[in-house]
Amino acid sequence: MDYLYDSSFDGLLTCIYHHYYQQAATGIYPQDHYQLTLLNNSHVVTRNPAYAARVYAAIEEKISPSSLILVYQGFLSSSPGKENLILNYLRLGFRLGAAVDFYHSHPQVQPLHKIARQVTREVHRILGLLRFADQGGFLYAGLSPDHDILTLIADHFAERLANERFIIHDQKRNLAVIYDGQTMPEPELPPQRQWYLIPLDHKPESSLVEEDHYQQLWKLYFDKISIDFRRNPRLQAQFIPQRYRPHLVEFQPARQEPAPKNEG
Amino acid sequence: MDTMAKLAILAEAAKYDVSCSSSGVSRKNQGGIGNAKSYGICHTWSADGRCISLLKILLSNDCIYDCRYCANRRSNDIPRASFSPREIADLTIQFYRRNYIEGLFLSAAVEKSPHHTMEKIIKTLTLLRQGYGFHGYIHVKIIPGADPVLVQQAGLLADRMSVNIEQPSEESLRLLAPQKSLPQLYAPMQQVREQIRLNKEDRKRFRHTPKFVPAGQSTQMIIGASPDSDLTILKTTQALYQTFDLKRVYFSAYVPINQDSHLPAPATAPPLLREHRLYQSDWLLRFYHFQAEEIVDVGHAYLERDIDPKTSWALRHPEFFPLEINRASYEELLRVPGIGPKSAWRIVTQRRLAAISADQLKKLGVVYKRAQYFITCKGVCPSNQSFDPLIIRRLLSPPPQPEQMTLF
Repeated sequence: MDYLYDSSFDGLLTCIYHHYYQQAATGIYPQDHYQLTLLNNSHVVTRNPAYAARVYAAIEEKISPSSLILVYQGFLSSSPGKENLILNYLRLGFRLGAAVDFYHSHPQVQPLHKIARQVTREVHRILGLLRFADQGGFLYAGLSPDHDILTLIADHFAERLANERFIIHDQKRNLAVIYDGQTMPEPELPPQRQWYLIPLDHKPESSLVEEDHYQQLWKLYFDKISIDFRRNPRLQAQFIPQRYRPHLVEFQPARQEPAPKNEG
Repeated sequence: MDTMAKLAILAEAAKYDVSCSSSGVSRKNQGGIGNAKSYGICHTWSADGRCISLLKILLSNDCIYDCRYCANRRSNDIPRASFSPREIADLTIQFYRRNYIEGLFLSAAVEKSPHHTMEKIIKTLTLLRQGYGFHGYIHVKIIPGADPVLVQQAGLLADRMSVNIEQPSEESLRLLAPQKSLPQLYAPMQQVREQIRLNKEDRKRFRHTPKFVPAGQSTQMIIGASPDSDLTILKTTQALYQTFDLKRVYFSAYVPINQDSHLPAPATAPPLLREHRLYQSDWLLRFYHFQAEEIVDVGHAYLERDIDPKTSWALRHPEFFPLEINRASYEELLRVPGIGPKSAWRIVTQRRLAAISADQLKKLGVVYKRAQYFITCKGVCPSNQSFDPLIIRRLLSPPPQPEQMTLF
C-alpha cells in the first residue's frame, strides 16, 4: 500500500502511524506528485495531529531527540524520495533505538544522514549569505534556497537582530518569516513564538529595493579586500555557487544597469 | 575625505591580514544588536577565494614604522587616511544589520605612538560595545609596545586579540622590520595568555566576571619574504601553540609589493603552494596529534610539493602500515592519509556494532583513493597492492604537468 500525504510534517508522521497500526506502507509519497500505477494501490492519508504527536513523541523517546531533529531536517530536504528514506530509517530506528545513528554506512541510515547534511549545510551557508536591505521601516531579505530552510534560520536572525523588524522571503516556495522586534506585546510575558511563517507570493516592488549608501560601501569593500595577485575565481565559485548570487549585493552589477531580475 | 574614499584606502591597506575567523566564542545578544556563534560564519568570498567574515579594516594607515615587507611603511608614497571611532562603529553596525558581516577586525598602523593608537582602538571598541550595544564578534590587533593596562582594557572588549610576529625567526625580523624585535612581540602575547588563564579561574568562582579575550589569540607570519625553511617555520609555530596557547597561527604567502634589496623581486609569484602545504601541516599539529619534528626534520627541512605532508610522513614510515581498520586505535587511524578526525570517529563508533568492510569506507567519509594503500579491512588489503612506498608515491603523485595552473 502506498500512502499519499499532504506534504506537511504532521501528514508524514500520520503515515508512519498508519504504517504501524493499519497496514505496512510500501512507500510514502506527496499526493500532488504521485503517479498512479497498476501494481500498487494507494491510499490518501488525512493528516491527524493526534497520531502525528504520538509518532513525534515515540521517535524522541524510543530512538533519540537527535533522531527527531534528523528526521525533520530530512523532511525539509527537496530530495524526491525523502519520505521513503525517513520511513526506512524509522523502521530500523524503532528496532535498534539510539544506536541506529552509529550505523553510519547502513543503507537504511546513510541516505537520510546524507540528505539531512545537505539541509544543515545549506542552513549554515545561508546564515552567512542572507542579505537584508533596509526598506525604511523594516529589513527585507529574499532568497531561493534549495531546501525549505526558513524555519531553521529564523531563530538565528530573531536573536541576532532582536530589536529589528524583518521579513525573510523564500521566493521559490512563496513563504516568508516575519519578525517584529519593535512592538513587543507584553513585556512581562516573553512570547513563545517570536516569528511567524506566512505565505507570501508578492515580490517586493522594485522601487522598494532601492540601493542604499551602505550597499555601495559594501561593494567597494568587497572589491578592495581581494588581493589581485591571488585572484582565484574557481575557488570563489566553490564557496558561492552561481545560484546564490542573484540575491547577493556584492555580485550585482553597478547601479546604471536595470535592476537584476529576481527569480522565483 | 568622505567615507567612501577612506574605506577604499583603509580596506585596501588591511587586506594582507589573513585572519578572518569569527569562531571560538558564543556571545548572547543582551538587549542590543548581534551575537557570536562558536562555529563562526563566513559571509562571502572575495575574488581571491578568501572568505570574508569580518569587516577587516585599519583605523589608520599612517605609520611611523618602516618594515620592509609592509605596504603601509613610512617610506611608501601612498594616500593616507584615518577613520574616527564613530565612523568605524557606524559602518560596523550598518553592515551587521544587513548581515554582510559577522563583526569587526580592527587593526591600525602605528600612528604617533603605540599608546596613542591603542587608546584610539579602545575608544572605538567602547563606543561599539557600550554606545551601540553591539554583541557581535570583535577581533583586535594588539599594537606591540602599548601599555599593558591598555592591552587589558582592549581584551575586556574584544573576542580575539592578535599580535603578528611576521617572521619566523629573530634574524629575519631584525633584517626586515628593524624597529621590531621578537621579545617585544612576545611580551603582550605572554600577558594576554596569563590574563586569559586568570580570567578562566575567576569565572569559575564569580559567574559574572566579564570575559577576557574569550576566543583566544592568534598570530600571523609572512612566508617567502625571508629565507627561513619550513622546519624553522613549523618549529616556531609549534612553540607558539605550546608557549602562548594560541588558537591559530596564520601563514601569508608574501606578495611582493615593495622594491627592496632584502626581499624577493616584485615580479615573483607569491608562494601559494608552499603556504598551502604549511596550512596542511598546521592542521596536522592541531587536529592530528603530530609533532613538528615528525613532519619536517633536519634531513627534510622543506615540505614536499607533490605530496601532502601527511602522506609524506606515511611514506617515510612503512613500519607503521598497513593498519587494520577494525583494530587500530583512534590515534592510529588519524595517521592514515585519507582519514580525518570525523571519519576516524565514525569508524570507531561503527565498528563496535559490526566489522567494517572496504566498500563501507567511502560512505564513512574516508578518502578511499588515498587510504586504500595504507589499510587492511578484515585482514585484506583493498588495493591489492603490497606496501611499497616507492610504488605508492608514484600512484599518489599528480601526473607531471608542464605548469601548475591553479592551486585548489
